[in-house]
Formats: sequence, structure tokens, C-alpha cells
Amino acid sequence: MPLRLHRQASAEVAAPPGRHHWSNTKDTHDMRVLVVEDDKRTSDYVRQGLVEAGHIVDALADGREALAHAGKVSFDVIVVDRMLPGLDGLSLVKGLRASGTTTPILFLTAINGVDDRVEGLESGGDDYLVKPFAFSELLARLNALGRRPPAQVEKTTLVVADLELDLVRRSCRRADLSIDLLPREFALLEYLMRNQSRVVTRTMLLEQVWDFHFDPQTSVVETHISRLRAKIDKPFTAALIHTVRHIGYSMHA
Amino acid sequence: MRSEILRSTPFRLTVIFGVTFFAALAIAGLIAFGLIERELSQRMDRSITDAFNVISQSFGDSDLTDLTDTVRSHATATLDHDRVYALIDASGAVLAGNVARAPLATGWMTLSSPALGLIAKNDEGQYRVFLGDVGGTRLLIGASFAETTEIARLTLTSVGWASAAILILLLATGAIIAIRAQRRIDGIAVTMARVGHGELGARIPVGARGDDIDMLARQVNVALDRLASLVEGMRQVSVNIAHDLKTPLNRLAITVEAAVEADLKRGPVAPLLEQAEVEIKQLNSTFDALLRIAQIEAGARRARFVQVQLADVLDKIADVYSDVAEESEQTLTVSHEDDLPPIEGDRDLLVQLCANLVENSIRYSPAETQIELLAVRSGDSVLVTFDDNGPGIPIEERSKVFQRLYRIDQSRTRPGNGLGLSLVKAVAELHGAHIDLGDNDPGLRVSIWFPISANK
Repeated sequence: MPLRLHRQASAEVAAPPGRHHWSNTKDTHDMRVLVVEDDKRTSDYVRQGLVEAGHIVDALADGREALAHAGKVSFDVIVVDRMLPGLDGLSLVKGLRASGTTTPILFLTAINGVDDRVEGLESGGDDYLVKPFAFSELLARLNALGRRPPAQVEKTTLVVADLELDLVRRSCRRADLSIDLLPREFALLEYLMRNQSRVVTRTMLLEQVWDFHFDPQTSVVETHISRLRAKIDKPFTAALIHTVRHIGYSMHA
Repeated sequence: MRSEILRSTPFRLTVIFGVTFFAALAIAGLIAFGLIERELSQRMDRSITDAFNVISQSFGDSDLTDLTDTVRSHATATLDHDRVYALIDASGAVLAGNVARAPLATGWMTLSSPALGLIAKNDEGQYRVFLGDVGGTRLLIGASFAETTEIARLTLTSVGWASAAILILLLATGAIIAIRAQRRIDGIAVTMARVGHGELGARIPVGARGDDIDMLARQVNVALDRLASLVEGMRQVSVNIAHDLKTPLNRLAITVEAAVEADLKRGPVAPLLEQAEVEIKQLNSTFDALLRIAQIEAGARRARFVQVQLADVLDKIADVYSDVAEESEQTLTVSHEDDLPPIEGDRDLLVQLCANLVENSIRYSPAETQIELLAVRSGDSVLVTFDDNGPGIPIEERSKVFQRLYRIDQSRTRPGNGLGLSLVKAVAELHGAHIDLGDNDPGLRVSIWFPISANK
């Protein structure tokens, strides 16, 4: 019996992983996040994790309230659960978009339906995450969403330390040495460099680089990363692509 | 029961048939009646003419007495005024015969009995009469219509009785057929009710006749067989799911237990929890895959179909997987005909279908394996073949590998959820594609025929 109590207690006080070795400590610009989730436990977990990662969080449980609140306060990113009381997630996002809100929105859902992702994106969502999710996955995605550069200031050259990627001429140089990349390697490197200093997860790479919306049973991501490393890291002294254990990769000097 | 028989199809058909037959019989009877009547009156006229000739010949020697005697003898030989004879002089007086009066005209006529001074005995007492001149006197010969009327009446009566008999016979046959058919239909209904109550083994008894009801019964039985095997499949799946999920759940419970123990002993907990997380992820992905397959099978995705170039899908697979194959010292070659026609489909799902098959080849084949993807046009389809020279799938396993969570014994020890090929099949079926597992001598050849988009 005491054992059982102990388990319960530990479950309740379990703090979500916050500022760990993989969180983006270098990126000091904190975000203001609105979390709309009616399940209190999930909401607390997400809020606490985000606060520990240095973000400011407003948490709401009702869709209608969220619509009103998002109209008054400006957020960097919004997390919306698909199933909400008052106003469901899809309608909330449609409402936000109709009122001119361009804030990036991430959907949370309990079902990984084939159509649900498409529906979510069609309603105006920017990303999609299926429960149960790892907090690290959510944080990585929110970082990628909330820090997206505005479309008009798209860079034509991406730079990480001495690595340069010219998006117009489709060329790559490191330490003044030209590196030949296959188109698939170029696409992967471009995504990593656009999200430099942030963690990108395996699933993010699968979705964004290869447009794969399922979990491959072979080491697709690892293989392509290792091919890329062989070209841009191996011949040089300092590695730029870093593995973040259990989560994904991060590109920085 | 009675109203059921009245409403039954065979009985209704019999009634319709009976009424039609009855009408046909009535028309035929009327036509026969008309023909008989005409024939009888002609015959009557002929016999009157014959009698007139015979009697008038007895005047051959201009002897009025002979004529009078002949008429008288004919008249007396006639009973009940069936026939009428008369010899009339110029003044109109009846010299001999069995009538009291006679008209003044000559030739053929139809007279009623009062016109002949007779009291009507038969129906209407109509007479067919011929009057002709014989040696200064007029000879009247006539015959009653009574016989004709009687024959006509007999004809009508017999037709009537025959019709009635036939009608009764038809109704009786109809009722018998209806009852028998109803009994067989009741048999179907009872069987369906039993099936409805969950007794899936119930089958409709099929007769040896091979008629429409037997054929229907056979088709229903075939459908029931299929339904039963589907339900059995579903049951099997549920059992498999329960079984396959119990094992990792068990491992998870042990791991968590171990973590709690480790915590009590102030030992390291994190590695155990990470292990638990991996188990949970695997369980979750199995559930995800099951739900995904169920959703694909439900077919709602078809509403989002667009025209897809399979060549693009194959190029993408080559792009992503040639390096992966190379990592396991295998080779992946992808080729397709130029100008392949588009198909109607869902690009994401088609990519996943191809990825699953290629990943299967990569994962279950040894090094040096050649994996080949080829897309060609084949009639009204685009044929995509996935060949490898790996271990292949034994012939007796081929029908089973598409079942959810089914795993070939050799592959049980390797990671995997036994859902990859189920998803391949679900996606192929969503696209109306035919899928076939064959031999590549050695290895596996998967052939899929995708129907070409109709609105090109």
C-alpha cells in the first residue's frame, strides 16, 4: 500500500522536462504561448514545461474563451487541442484565421487519423502533434513555429559557423572548400540550417524534408544524416551537426 | 397465414395468369359459339330447301291430292311443331299442314309462332320459314330455332363449366405453389433471423431443383460464408491484438516495477524509465497503425483523391531509400516507363505503400540483396512490381501475411508490428488496385495493378 501511494505521489509531482541539456539555452528570446487544452493534467504538464524552458504561458480550457483572449493578447504561438468544450479546436482555429490572426498554431490531437492532419492544416493550423507526445517533440516544434522568420525576410544564404549554403546557386561551401551535395542532401541541410541552434526531431525531419507522414521502420533519418555528415563534418575538425539523444539533431557551431 | 398466401408472388402470378386464361377462354368460346350458330342456321336452311324440293317433287304429276297428302304426312310426323309444313291456296287458306296461318309473301323469312297461328312452346318460338309456289298453291316449310338455341345453350354452358373448372384448378395450383414457395421463403427468413441473432453458422437449405429460389439461397449462403469468415477474421484480429499487446504491456509493467524498486534502493531510475518509454512508444505506434488501417479501410480518404503520377512516387522512394539500402549493403533500383498515365489516388498513402514494401525487403533480406521497383503500363492499369532476391514468403503464408498483426515465424524475433502488409493491402484496396504476392525465384515479387485514371 505505501508503495502505491508513493507511485501516485511521484506521478503527480513529476515535473516535465524543462531546461535540460537539449533545451535551447542559446536561444534566449522567450515566447509568449497560448495553450488551449481542456485536460487539466496535459495542460499543466505543457504549461510547466514551457515555463521552465523560459516561455510565458497562458493556459485556457474553453474554446470560446480562447477565441476572445487571442483577440486581445498577441502571442508568438498557439497550442490548440482538437477536442474542446465550448468551441472545438477546428472551429477555434478557423475563427482565429477569419479574424486575421496569423500567429502560428499547433494542433494537439488524440487520434492520428489519416484525414485529421489534412483537416487541421486546411482549417489554418501550421503543425500537428498526436497524443501521447514527448514534451521534447512539442517544444522543438513550438520553437520552429514561433521563431519562423517572416516570409519577406527570407535569406538567400544560410550560414552556420564556416558553413555556407547558397539557396539561389544551390551550392555549399565550408572553410572555402566547395562541397557537392545531392538534391536530397541539400534539402536536409537547408532545413537543419534554417533551424540552426534549435533541436529538430526525427519526425520533424521526416515531415518537413521528405514529406513522410508515417513512422518508417528503417533508419531513414539516421542514414541521411550520416551521409550528410560524411560530406560536411567528417573532413573538418569541428562537427556542426549534433545528435540530441533520443530526440533528434541540432545544428550549431 | 392466409393473407400471406394471398400476398405471395406465386399466388399473385397464378391469379393474373388465371384471369388472363379465363378471358382467353371466354373469347374463344364466343367465337366458337358464333361459328356453330352460323353453321347450324346454314344447315337448317339446307334441310328446309331439301324438304321443299322433296315435297314439291310429289307434285310431279300435277296431282294436288298427292301434294296435300305428302304435306299432311310430313306434318303429322312432326312432334311439337319442331318443323312446320303447310300448303296454302291462292286465297290464303291452309289446305294441309300443322300451322293455322301463313303469311302472304314468298321466300325466306324468320317468323314468330303467333304469325303462324301457333302457341309458343319453345323459348321464343322463332321459326325459319321458306315459302314457294308449287302448282298454283304455296308450300310453306319451316323449322323451329329451338334446336339451334338448345345447342348454343349447351355450348355456352359447357364452356362456362370448363372455365369454372379451370379457374378452380388454377387457383388451387396457385395456392399450392404459393404455399410451397412461401415455405421455402420462410426457410430463408428463419435462417436470416438466426444469422441476425448471431448464429453465423446457419445456412439456407438448398433444394436440388436449381431454380431461382435455390440460386438466391446459394448466393445468400455464399455471402454468409464470406461474412462469417470476415467476422472470424475480426475475432482473430481482436485475439491477436490482445495477445500482441499483452506481451509489451507485461514488459512495461516489469520495467516500471523495476524502476520503483531501483528508486527505493536509491539506484539509477532513468535507464529503466527510458526503456519503459520505448515500450510505450511501440505500443502507441501499433495502435496508431491499427487505427490508420481501419480509417483507410473505411474509405473516407477517397473523397480527397487527386491525380497522382506513380513515377513521381517511385522517384521519391528511390531518393529516400537507395541510401538506406546501401547502408545494409543492398541495392535498390527503381525504374519506370516514360509517359506513365496518372492514377486516381492519395499521394501520401501511395508513398507509404511503396515505403512499407521496400522497407520489408530491406529489413527481412540479407546483405547483397537486389531490390527492384518497376512501373509499366499494362492494359488499363499501371503495374508496379517490387522484386527482391531475399528469402521470400513461403507459398502457404502468402494468404495470411495481409492479416493484421500476422507475422511469419522467421520474422517474429525481429522488431516490427505485423501491420506493414495489412496497411499495404488496405491502401491498394482503397485505390481499387489488385495485389498479388508471387515468386521471384528466388525471393519475393509483389505485383500491384493500379487502375488508370478515367478522366485523363
